[in-house]
Amino acid sequence: MTPTLRLPYIRPTLSRLNQGPVNPFRLGTSPSCPDIDGISVPELTREHGSPLFVFSETALRDAYRAAHRAFSRRYPDVQFAWSYKTNYLNAICRVFHQEGAIAEVVSGFEYEKARHNGIEGHNIIFNGPHKEKADVERAIAEGAMLQVDNIDELLHLGEITKGRTEPLPIALRVHLSTGVQTVWSKFGFSGDDGELQQVVRRILAMPQLRLVGLHCHIGTFILEPEWYRIAAKKMVALALNAEAMGAGPIRYLNMGGGFASHARLHFQYLPPEQATPSMDRYAEAICDTITAEWPQGRTLPKLYLETGRALVDDAGYLISTVVAVKRRTLHDPVATALAAFGKNGPATVAGAPSQNALVLDAGINLMYTTTWYQPRILPVRPCLDAPTPTTVFGCLCMNIDVLREDAPLPGLTTGDQVVMHPVGAYNQTQSMQFITYRPAVVMTGPGGQVHLIRRRENLEYVQEMEVVPSHLQNPE
Amino acid sequence: MLNDRGFAFDPTSGETFQLSTTGLRIVRLLQQDTGHEKILEHVIEEFEVEPNTASRDLADFLLSVKQVGWISE
Ligand SMILES: Cc1ncc(COP(=O)(O)O)c(C=O)c1O
Repeated sequence: MTPTLRLPYIRPTLSRLNQGPVNPFRLGTSPSCPDIDGISVPELTREHGSPLFVFSETALRDAYRAAHRAFSRRYPDVQFAWSYKTNYLNAICRVFHQEGAIAEVVSGFEYEKARHNGIEGHNIIFNGPHKEKADVERAIAEGAMLQVDNIDELLHLGEITKGRTEPLPIALRVHLSTGVQTVWSKFGFSGDDGELQQVVRRILAMPQLRLVGLHCHIGTFILEPEWYRIAAKKMVALALNAEAMGAGPIRYLNMGGGFASHARLHFQYLPPEQATPSMDRYAEAICDTITAEWPQGRTLPKLYLETGRALVDDAGYLISTVVAVKRRTLHDPVATALAAFGKNGPATVAGAPSQNALVLDAGINLMYTTTWYQPRILPVRPCLDAPTPTTVFGCLCMNIDVLREDAPLPGLTTGDQVVMHPVGAYNQTQSMQFITYRPAVVMTGPGGQVHLIRRRENLEYVQEMEVVPSHLQNPE
Repeated sequence: MLNDRGFAFDPTSGETFQLSTTGLRIVRLLQQDTGHEKILEHVIEEFEVEPNTASRDLADFLLSVKQVGWISE
């Protein structure tokens, strides 16, 4: 009896997992990514070139809706604010704004961008340790929500609002110890050692200011939802304490961002599908805690969330093409160390272990987040041979341009394409033009549309800001 | 210990292994005491593979399974 449908064949293999940080779950299958959002990858690059950033509009909207649902199911008054720095391509910001997110910005530039994207001042949360004087003045005039980061900023605000009849509503940024991780004490005032109370006391002496909210952002890529429970509990206690000191009603708590996407940290053992908590777990930790801790019978404070990476990271892909194939000799660290002392001959000996290596047409200047995360790298063409640890180099003329030390990949060859994922958070905003032009960015729509949302750079764009002094101009 | 994704832990040696999907299928058949001839038939029947390739790969695979001590003959 022959089954009508036979499975694709892969060589039967048994590999011993003895490669230190190599995670067993990464080996053993050779998945591929022939299309993004139902659109074939070669078709995308035929039109827009390689490398190419691709964002799925459906994935963006789905992520937003899932997050919003998780919180609004549990809490009566929730507002998401799109954290611009995570990805401020206008098309992406506008998708989130259309879904109902207001804006969270940390500079005058981001503020201008949000205004340009149609967000009114009173729907902008203005964060950050450095706000320019002119930007603060504009924000005040337009009714933006100022989250004060430090004493200098507070005193400056006190000065420029002197004589105001209507007090200026402000919030204070707080940092908190929530457990295991390092406290982001660069930002805001300590909520653990009485510093915040001192600042509240100062505000009480400034009738032109009124404290109406508290803000905290405990960190980023937080894999432990319980830390939000601790943070929420402390935030409520601090709010009630400020009220008891005479600050007046605290109308909102801003819990910042930090929810994890399905990226994978270096040396993260479990795969993201298992390590990344669901939105429900974050929502439960935050909403249930505030609801339980807030005085019974009083209207709950408005809850702001500035979720960045968890909304955008998984929607972003980077397509790249293999431009060269190499073997890379793996140096035995002991032999290398001995060789440094002239012992035991050269570190690299014939027959030394080696592994496959690829050079892609995209470099780490586009993939800043590879410093902390290891993107999944999938071949576009389905490959049946077993994946082996493969070094994936970028295209820059720099030795540090390594996108992955040991991506499990089948034997790819020049001209093959790969898709890196997730890459939607922070890579756009932190990428730099270096050696090559930055690639185009497209957004795929639900009906198979492909919208260009950022053109590939060209010489004119890159040189636009340069000025050549007259004595260096080419003679006519 | 062997999970359905081909991840194996050998409690006697403390080592961990990863089987490819085909490898996992073969180990499952070995666990049911299926003879090598019969295993080859299964592989050819269930997967898109030439009999020659399947037979060569099976021999290689059985050798590696023997090397880690999971089978003796
Ligand atoms: C104040 C503030 N809010 C929100 C975010 C967004 O964080 P995430 O992308 O981790 O959600 C950040 C990022 O660092 C931040 O500093």
